[in-house]
Amino acid sequence: MIKNYLKIAWRNIRKQKFYSFINILGLTIGMTCCFLIFMYVRFELSYDSFHKNKDRIYRVVTDVKTPTELIEADITSAPMGPNIKADFPEVVSSVRINLQNALVTIGSNKYDEDRVAMADSTLFDIFSFQLIRGTAKNALAEPFTAVLTESKAKKYFGSADPMGKTFQMDGGKVTIKVTGLMKDVPENSHLPFDMVISMATAERMGQNLTESWGNFGMLTYLLLAPGADAAKLEKKLPAFMESHIGSTMKRNNMYYTLHLERLKDVYMTSKRPAAVKGSITNIYIFSIVAVFILLIAVINFVNLATARATERAREVGVRKSVGAYESQLTFQFLCETLLLSLFAFVLSVALSQLLLPPFNLLAGKEIAYNIFLTGTIGWFLFIAIAVGLLAGIYPALVLSSYKPVVVLKGAFSSSNKGLFLRRGLVVFQFVITIVLIAGVMIVYYQLLYLQSRDLGFKKDQQLVVEFGGVDNMKEKWFDIRQQVLNVQGVSGATFSSAIPGRFQNSAYSNIEMKNGEMQASNINLYFIDYDFIKQYEIKVLAGRAFSPQMATDSTQAMLVNEAVVSSLGYSKPEEIIGKKFDQWGRKGTIIGVIKNFNYRSLKEAVSPLTLRIEPEAFVPMTITVSPKDAKKVIAGVEAIYNRYVPEGRFNYFFVDDDFDRQYRGDFRFGQLVLTFAILAIFLATLGLLGLISYIVIQRTKEIGIRKVLGASVNNILLLLSTDFIKLIAIALLVATPLAWYLMYQWLKDFAYRIDVPWWVFLAAGCVAVVIALATVSIQTMKAAMTNPVKSLRTE
Amino acid sequence: MIRTVNLQKIFTTEEIETSALNGINMEVKEGEFVAIMGPSGCGKSTLLNILGLLDNPSGGEYHFWDHEVARMSERQRAQLRKGSIGFVFQSFNLIDELTVFENVELPLLYLKVPASERKDKVEKVLERMNIMHRRNHFPQQLSGGQQQRVAIARAVVANPKMILADEPTGNLDSTNGEEVMKLLQELNEAGTTMVMVTHSPYDAGFAHRVVNLFDGRVVTENIKEQFHV
Repeated sequence: MIKNYLKIAWRNIRKQKFYSFINILGLTIGMTCCFLIFMYVRFELSYDSFHKNKDRIYRVVTDVKTPTELIEADITSAPMGPNIKADFPEVVSSVRINLQNALVTIGSNKYDEDRVAMADSTLFDIFSFQLIRGTAKNALAEPFTAVLTESKAKKYFGSADPMGKTFQMDGGKVTIKVTGLMKDVPENSHLPFDMVISMATAERMGQNLTESWGNFGMLTYLLLAPGADAAKLEKKLPAFMESHIGSTMKRNNMYYTLHLERLKDVYMTSKRPAAVKGSITNIYIFSIVAVFILLIAVINFVNLATARATERAREVGVRKSVGAYESQLTFQFLCETLLLSLFAFVLSVALSQLLLPPFNLLAGKEIAYNIFLTGTIGWFLFIAIAVGLLAGIYPALVLSSYKPVVVLKGAFSSSNKGLFLRRGLVVFQFVITIVLIAGVMIVYYQLLYLQSRDLGFKKDQQLVVEFGGVDNMKEKWFDIRQQVLNVQGVSGATFSSAIPGRFQNSAYSNIEMKNGEMQASNINLYFIDYDFIKQYEIKVLAGRAFSPQMATDSTQAMLVNEAVVSSLGYSKPEEIIGKKFDQWGRKGTIIGVIKNFNYRSLKEAVSPLTLRIEPEAFVPMTITVSPKDAKKVIAGVEAIYNRYVPEGRFNYFFVDDDFDRQYRGDFRFGQLVLTFAILAIFLATLGLLGLISYIVIQRTKEIGIRKVLGASVNNILLLLSTDFIKLIAIALLVATPLAWYLMYQWLKDFAYRIDVPWWVFLAAGCVAVVIALATVSIQTMKAAMTNPVKSLRTE
Repeated sequence: MIRTVNLQKIFTTEEIETSALNGINMEVKEGEFVAIMGPSGCGKSTLLNILGLLDNPSGGEYHFWDHEVARMSERQRAQLRKGSIGFVFQSFNLIDELTVFENVELPLLYLKVPASERKDKVEKVLERMNIMHRRNHFPQQLSGGQQQRVAIARAVVANPKMILADEPTGNLDSTNGEEVMKLLQELNEAGTTMVMVTHSPYDAGFAHRVVNLFDGRVVTENIKEQFHV
């Protein structure tokens, strides 16, 4: 029997090539999108799941609370981890990790490494990073030892055995010995690194890891004993902090509260920063998009199948008259849909495999390279079957319910039954389409806004060269700057410790409040030279900027931004001028207030910032150049750089490019949504094309009669498109609040965001109307321009 | 074999009620060949559909063999129908996507007849209908007469007790029509009860008995000798 069903299904597919093409293409595109997004979502949700102890690993994070602010940090200070381990028996092990950049030198080769971890030797006990050579116990036990990943070892030493080999760091000052070899860190690890240097190295290089309770900079992870209750442990941590540094916290009026985060929450749901961070909002958005696209394809199928149901009516009648039960017919038609959907499944799997490389590129990470190794095929098959059933059940029920008495007479024509449903489904499709179009427009509008918004500083034509590794910068910076200024094409040069868009330090600072008390807080910090404010065109709102004429400016003066002013309770910038500060051993007065400038991504509001002159800390030099001179200037500066840092590696970038790099993830998101929106529109159009071509065939006679009675081609066009325009209008009404809500969720991530303009929805609606009209017109024109004599004769 | 008592059928649309059958009392004995005649719209086809268990009457009784079937559900009717009634339609009603062989095989599939037996039965009936050479063709590749022979083959393949034919020659030229009628006659002579709706007095001549309908009632019943032209 099944054979008979499949046979007739196959023959129908072949006979109705146009409709089969629409259905299979639609389902294939829908499923391919769904499969790719499925893999993406699954990958995103799989972060850190490869650790055997994943359910027992917790990240220790800190809330730093001062009277003026609450900082939710992902880091701790160095002594915290080992002391928690020592104080609480339920903690089996702890590890401190510090992710950093390093310049690695091997012979004459220099490598800039931005994925270097410094970690305790317990790293391999707690996490399931796989050691190939060396032992977990010994590999990181000694100072100046390192474990390399396979790919890094290969890069440094080729095929030679890396064990026992050495390399230099810190401009050749430190020699590190390779004591272990590990598998590359999986892509789905929130801790990205290519090599691990022993934490003992940091200690040997002068860092105080046992006493410095207030010096934050370590990621700390705990492995709890099986069955240990993390919530209970967390409750004991305030007392733990109190016992260790209670008096210090009180004295500084700065309190640390430790929290435990489950490892599986770190990447996706934690609000705290991380080296690699997922977005649960994006996961939701993509999941919804996948379901939407699949639904569009399913709806295409349902619409076409129910519209064309009458074609199969006679068969239903015949089968019933020879003894088929209704349930057998339902089953038969479901089988046909399943066949179609399995056909699309095979094509989709092949297509997904083909599209994986560009998809990886689009996603910005390697989700998978072989679809058959992802263990998802079973899921895909399940999706395909679900799609087949979903798409097939309604048409199957409609078809199998036909009464043989009615359909076998031969004069059977479709009733209005199902028409309402079809209209509803078309509206639904257009809702999805309009939401996606509006979504894409809003995403790009926001991205455009991010790029064009005045950040409060000049970011164009600012070349940055990193002068890391200059010995005794304090003595040399002025000369270096002078030499750079002499390079032809350079119109300005300024040193600082950080530049907008890049990491800046924060410092434990005491600043005088309005009432005369000193307030401690952790405030971001820029060390700059005298020209920084001028060269970045940052506005001074009160007081003055630093001046080389004022001898005390380099020792006792501080600039603050507006955020500091308001966070300390001052109402006007002028009020803070002359107030005292005490920061990192420097004491003095505030001499000026600068306008807030966005030194971080526009996702964040501008936070308090202090600026001082401290040449020792200078690293990046910002050089103002005109674009046409850029090449010459870069060459000229490189020569200067090489004189001062002969063992270094010359690095440069432009502030604007670098700043926009922060939005790379958002652009990627935009591109993905755009891609899927285009596909959704394509699918909806495809469905419309099928539906309209069928409607036109059905109404051929009507069109003929109308033409005979004097209707013009335009009249006919209007007749057939009015219906669809009405449906789109309804869809627009539904889609507008929906799109607004969804995009508002996305925009919420940005501290600086656009107000969603009303015209976006109108424009999206117009796009939908244009697409629908174009589709209707193409099909209708053919019918409307046919000689009515011909169309009437065929009836 | 079948007996109706005061059989009624009323079609209801939004505005009007149409009475298609208005108290039909008739009986068909096993082995009989009965023709139903009457002008268009007199209820011939409606009656045939009810007799064929494709439709339920609105009132009255219908005894099919020993079953009172007038109130049966669709599923029960399908159960009873399969294997015991064969249908021949004016417009053949073959499934275009199936070959001759597959069309004829269809009733046997629903009867769950094993494959080898199916093949035997279908081939036999195709030979009997003289259409064996066309077994792998699709309906649209056949002439009207051939298509009706396939339809008849399909109607008899499961060896039903009764065949209901709705204007079986209506779409055929006279030569093919004659051939089809002869086939039906042969089947009747071999023991199959035959009920046929027809407009054609000539075709009705093949029947033992003619029932004349008018406005949903039986107006006259003629047995062959009195009627034959």
